[in-house]
Amino acid sequence: MRRDTEHALVKNARIESVDREASFGFGVRAIADGAWGFAASQVTTAAEADRVAALAVEIARASALTKIADVRLSPVKPAQATYASPMRVDPFALSFDERIGLMIAAEAKLREQKGVRTTRAVYDIWREEKLFRSSEGADIAQTLTEVGGGIAAEATGDGELQIRSYPDGVRCQNQAGWEFLTDWDLVGNAPRVAEEAVALLSAKACPRDTRTTVILAGNQLSLQCHESCGHPIELDRALGSEAAFAGTSFLTPDRRGSFRYGSDQINIRIDSTSRGGLGTFAYDDEGVPASEGWAIDHGIFVGYLMSRESSAALGLTSNGTMRADGWARVPIIRMTNVSVMPGSAGTLDDLISDTDQGILMDTNRSWSIDDRRLNFQFGTEIGWEIRKGKRGAMLRNPTYTGITPEFWGSCDAVCSESEWVMWGTPNCGKGQPGQSAHTGHGAAPARFRDVRVGVIA
Amino acid sequence: MELGEKALRAIAEKALRAARGDQVEAVVIARNDSLTRFANAAIHQNVSSRVIDLRVRVVKGKRVATLATDRIDEEGIRAVAEQASALCAIVPENPDFGGLPEPAPIPSAPSAFVDGTARATPRDRALAVKQVCDAARGKGLRAAGFVSTNVQELAVASSLGIWAYGPQTTCEVQVAAIGDAGSAFGQRVSTDFATLDVRAASDEAIRKALLAQGPRDLAPGDHEVVLEPYAVYDIVGFLCGQLTGLAVEEGRSFVGGRLGQQVTGPVTIVDDPFDRAGLPRAFDFEGRPSQALTLIDTGVARAIVYDSATARRAGARPTGHALPANAFMPAAPMHRRLEAGTRSRDELIKDCRRGVLVTRFWYTRWVHQLRTIVTGMTRDGTFAIVDGEIAYPVKNFRFTQSYHEALQGVRGIGSELSLLVAGEAFGLQAISARVPALHLASFTFTGATQY
Repeated sequence: MRRDTEHALVKNARIESVDREASFGFGVRAIADGAWGFAASQVTTAAEADRVAALAVEIARASALTKIADVRLSPVKPAQATYASPMRVDPFALSFDERIGLMIAAEAKLREQKGVRTTRAVYDIWREEKLFRSSEGADIAQTLTEVGGGIAAEATGDGELQIRSYPDGVRCQNQAGWEFLTDWDLVGNAPRVAEEAVALLSAKACPRDTRTTVILAGNQLSLQCHESCGHPIELDRALGSEAAFAGTSFLTPDRRGSFRYGSDQINIRIDSTSRGGLGTFAYDDEGVPASEGWAIDHGIFVGYLMSRESSAALGLTSNGTMRADGWARVPIIRMTNVSVMPGSAGTLDDLISDTDQGILMDTNRSWSIDDRRLNFQFGTEIGWEIRKGKRGAMLRNPTYTGITPEFWGSCDAVCSESEWVMWGTPNCGKGQPGQSAHTGHGAAPARFRDVRVGVIA
Repeated sequence: MELGEKALRAIAEKALRAARGDQVEAVVIARNDSLTRFANAAIHQNVSSRVIDLRVRVVKGKRVATLATDRIDEEGIRAVAEQASALCAIVPENPDFGGLPEPAPIPSAPSAFVDGTARATPRDRALAVKQVCDAARGKGLRAAGFVSTNVQELAVASSLGIWAYGPQTTCEVQVAAIGDAGSAFGQRVSTDFATLDVRAASDEAIRKALLAQGPRDLAPGDHEVVLEPYAVYDIVGFLCGQLTGLAVEEGRSFVGGRLGQQVTGPVTIVDDPFDRAGLPRAFDFEGRPSQALTLIDTGVARAIVYDSATARRAGARPTGHALPANAFMPAAPMHRRLEAGTRSRDELIKDCRRGVLVTRFWYTRWVHQLRTIVTGMTRDGTFAIVDGEIAYPVKNFRFTQSYHEALQGVRGIGSELSLLVAGEAFGLQAISARVPALHLASFTFTGATQY
């Protein structure tokens, strides 16, 4: 596996950092004596391959000391294939000046606003080339390219630090070419972003510890989906494999097919074929082909993210969700693209017009959820009062909290396809040793009733 | 197994020779990490990897570029150095950049390397896991967690004459003991696998898990608390992240403009890279000598830490706390210690007439940085304390609490310190802390979950 990345940050009128990283190595996952072992190295010689393979087997045999049952895998047809993710403008083929020039221009626009203290413009370009071969006969070569970034302005005063960013923090990322960043028009949005950061300092505080209607912008709904649906549908969690760290899941196997996760409005799809999604590929890191299916169907929990081993435990087959964070990490179940599908509520303006009273919350700032994925609390960068169908006063420090199935059960409207965006989470942590995955989450704005807001000490 | 100073020096010197710039820095991080993970009382992930990372920072006037690679053959080293040099020639100038640090004498620090840890085998780790799983099974519980052994070598070299090398070993056991209606946690960290107290971690988790079954509802609100060291580690971690030059510069630190003022109750937080009971290291990731600092002295904010760039912008001196060159956390206290008090853990509980015993926090995130308000959950062993005794398990809480304000109500500090480590960051294990249990007058629980 080879991975090339470049990260650049323009901050407060200076090039704060330009970092490139190149990584190249291989990992071997082996079953011996009915148990798993994994070893990896960056030295790509035949002798080292022999050493690493032997070490993986030695580790597997050590694992067998605690074995309760032999590892059992669901079947997969070994594939021979090549795949490259689509893009219009190869970011690695552009000149450095073209890449950094966009950030310099956007950051300069942020600084035109009086009162901003810290300004940032960031891009990340990322490419992974990987070859998967198995003793079963698979031979799969894939090249995945991603582009991400964004702008942010911070303002401080009177004991407050307020931030506004665009499009979604400075980490909005897709599987795409450089066109992904140019299409967002960072320069054109910079004045508004900076102005809102300063305006937040004198905005009204979010109403304290009360219940009201909440409309979540699409970027916030995508993270809500990631944390409260994407993680609990990971079958390794549900079976206890992550019990000591990432946690387990309230979506236990006995609930599959019958548990009411949300209202009839809620349809959540597992889809590793979605264009642009950070969880899009042709085959996962077990050689299982990309797939699409439902996690939540009209509010009912129906499907997990599965591996070959975990699916076999339920008498099912894998839907291809095993991915490793680089060559030195073992593949584990990761979200692919887990997306809230659009509804029929029209545009965001239509949804606001249809709302008598509530709060619109936009762009995540704080996120936390318990280890079974039930009790969550999120904060966003900005909020607005909604009164009699109109967007009203700006609100600072908005937060909301709830219990996952109660919250999704309170959803009575999801905006239509015209508002649906494939957002991305390029930093999803899981596993020991730690792994960071890139996951996709399509979402449109949605409305939730009777939500507890304003939780701050 | 370690590579040794000679091997890392050869890598760094090749990079320095191949780069073209006014100044060049090479940082080599070599890691050999093995981790045996278990759940449902059996090993399910068991991994070992050997990684050498080379980071080359090239400076031409006010232009700076950093490239990293893990391709450590002749061609890979030359390529990263040449590419860093080429990139450095075209990046725009950073007018604030003041150059790489000058060399300074590096003091000696206690060794953090134990040969036996470096030589631990997969079988050694698996046998340790088996000990935990068997003990849990014997009490009708399931065990999950990991046993790890790690070797890390760090070398820093620069064209200005800096050379620093330090090896370190760590080993760790984490155990969650899980019953049908409750769980608990234990953790131990050491440099020496021979003295890693796997049994103590296991016994602690099992004993507490047996008490944790069938948690009851307890109303959220402001409660007096006793926090085990695992929870205190989180508080110290968040606060230390704000005790940096960058945090103050960006206006997000609770000590900004308040050095010399009382910011917490009577706790003392130091950064001590020479603590023999911690993970000592004599230099930072710019090759500057490490420096012990008292950050908060009996509640009074005394110092913040710097790398060379944030120090220059603040008009201060670097303190020897640089992380690998990056823009988001360029410096941090890396050898944290909240100084011990005089009360045993049992005495802290006994001193609490009515309150909550918290084993550890989970998924803690900023809500309001400047006020150090954090939200998170309790996890793996939360109990009601009634009349100075652990009375019954309670369902886990969500809290939304200013961490430094919580420390304003310190009622007791534990007499024993636990060595704990953060997960890997920047491809290395750089941050550790030694912390006691704490008894606090009030902690704000803003919600609860269903278990």
